[in-house]
Amino acid sequence: MSPRRPGRSLQRRLFLGALVFVTLALLVAGLAIGLVLYRFARGQIDARLDGELFAISADLRPGKRGPTLSAAHDGPPFDRPRSGWYWQVRLGDAVLRSPSLGEADLAVPQTPEREEGRPVPADGTGPRGEGLILRVLRLPGPRDGPDAVLVAAAPAAALHGPLREAGKTLALALGLLGLCLIAGITLQVRLGLRPLRTLGADLAAIRAGTRERVPAEQPQEIRPLVTELNLLLDQNAANLERARSHVANLAHGLKTPLAALAMAAERNPEPGLAPLVAAMDRQVRHHLRRARAAALGGSTRARADLFAQTSDLAVALSRLHAERGIAIANEVAPGTQVACDAQDLDEMLGNLIDNACRWAGSHVRIRAERDGGLIELWVEDDGPGLTPEQGAHVLQRGRRLDETVPGDGFGLPITLELAELYGGGLTLDRSDLGGLLARLRLPA
Amino acid sequence: MKLLLAEDDAALAAELLRALRAEHFAVDHAVNGEDARHLGETERYDAVVLDLGLPVVDGVTVLRDWRAAGLTLPVLILTARDGWSDKVAGFKAGADDYLVKPFRTEELVIRLRALVRRASANGATQITCGPLVYDAGLGSFERDGLPLRLTGLEWRVLSCLILRKDAVVPRDQLIERVYDGDAEVDSNSVEVIITRLRRKIAPARIESVRGHGWRLQAGEEA
Repeated sequence: MSPRRPGRSLQRRLFLGALVFVTLALLVAGLAIGLVLYRFARGQIDARLDGELFAISADLRPGKRGPTLSAAHDGPPFDRPRSGWYWQVRLGDAVLRSPSLGEADLAVPQTPEREEGRPVPADGTGPRGEGLILRVLRLPGPRDGPDAVLVAAAPAAALHGPLREAGKTLALALGLLGLCLIAGITLQVRLGLRPLRTLGADLAAIRAGTRERVPAEQPQEIRPLVTELNLLLDQNAANLERARSHVANLAHGLKTPLAALAMAAERNPEPGLAPLVAAMDRQVRHHLRRARAAALGGSTRARADLFAQTSDLAVALSRLHAERGIAIANEVAPGTQVACDAQDLDEMLGNLIDNACRWAGSHVRIRAERDGGLIELWVEDDGPGLTPEQGAHVLQRGRRLDETVPGDGFGLPITLELAELYGGGLTLDRSDLGGLLARLRLPA
Repeated sequence: MKLLLAEDDAALAAELLRALRAEHFAVDHAVNGEDARHLGETERYDAVVLDLGLPVVDGVTVLRDWRAAGLTLPVLILTARDGWSDKVAGFKAGADDYLVKPFRTEELVIRLRALVRRASANGATQITCGPLVYDAGLGSFERDGLPLRLTGLEWRVLSCLILRKDAVVPRDQLIERVYDGDAEVDSNSVEVIITRLRRKIAPARIESVRGHGWRLQAGEEA
């Protein structure tokens, strides 16, 4: 499989594509405008030369001793020697020239066809070797004599100089236009891709638990994507629910016969049977917990109401420990929320409060406070507490199952594991009440 | 003391019935949620052992229906579901205690006795009536500090009376709490048991209230 090219950015792709098109369009526009300008300038010069030619031809008098002009045609710029503006009339061997031409001869290229009465364009070279723009007019000579060939010339510089100036201005204007277009495109690409960025933020919010679904009000183009995403989220949730119910069914299917077996073993104290049943129970319990922990913590994280769930658990636990009369004080501020699944929170909190109730003398206290992006939850009791070594031992993962007796902090490693899954943690400390202080950190 | 056991697993139910009867409880057995709901609404029980995964109608629904109908009898949920969310849901539905399978028989019995004692509004674990002391945790009777030997039926009658000491327990209520649903009830046998008990517990005495029932009292007749 070929590796994906790094940095494949839609934004860059759109931008580069637009850049190529804008550049091509500007080049074509520049060429077209340049051509028009050239034609216009050339047309001006041609018109002027043609005017001169027609004026000369109107004044041309073929005399016995060669042709003459009935009026002078030596006005500027045809009077300045070597100005590049020339005219010349040739009739047979006789030649009339503009003063600017002096004694020099204008080489007249062979005009392609005999187009009488209409000037034809041509290129030529002047006496100084300068480039010239020529207009050639052929007129029928008198009485089957040779044709009269009238030539008017303008310096090529008269065309190219102004064209160069106009070209500079044109390039500047087109460059500016290009810059504006690129700025516009950049803005458009950013605006156009903004829904994608918003979508990314929405998905992040779903992961963080502040949203449940991607909002359906989306631009038409990404609405199908959002619909699919939401369906995927629903499917995920359904899968999670199914996995949970499988675990519950498995628990029921395994534990009910196990309970019967345990009771039979108690009634009929055959040596070795009771420990076997106890070992089975521990294995089943452990692996069911692991299975549930795996089914928990899905990709979608709802928000859980810390206060409400603590209250519910406090009621449940005070009934479970009713004989010992433990007072559970829920000092969590109402409305406190954590970004985690409600069942996961129940598991973590339930384990901690249950553990506290088992060891407490008479009081268990639950508090929560915000610490940056985390909520730190304190569960403390007035029992004997743990030494740091005991605390480390209780939280140790991968302990052999035989060492963990139910009711002896069995749930604490699982709580730690779940908390770490959420990017939080669990530490054990000594409480002001005298017993254990469990500090559970969860994302706010 | 009479219990309702709602458990659909035959093997476990048989073990439970055997164990609970050995501890002197009278036990009715329902194998599905519908029967359990009906029995709970029509019979008189001191406590219920309720499985959540019952066929026809699940345990939580049964419990909710009882509570909605105003039934306050103590209910212990006995289930394989050990998640805290399940426990919270059970208590929210109105459970009084929750035990996860598998369990130790001793723990179930202790919890049931405690439930019955708490339901009869007796805060203490020991109930005293004259020379008689009933330990609700152990389920044992003492007279003048010595263990009192009682048959199963005698224990049921006496525990029922001592939990309601100084109050008249109607005859039909007593009979309901003493005999299993499927037992043949000989109406005279209660009188026989009472007579035997009177001898065993003197000078505490069981007073007959004519046409009504019996009352356990501490001392000599006033």
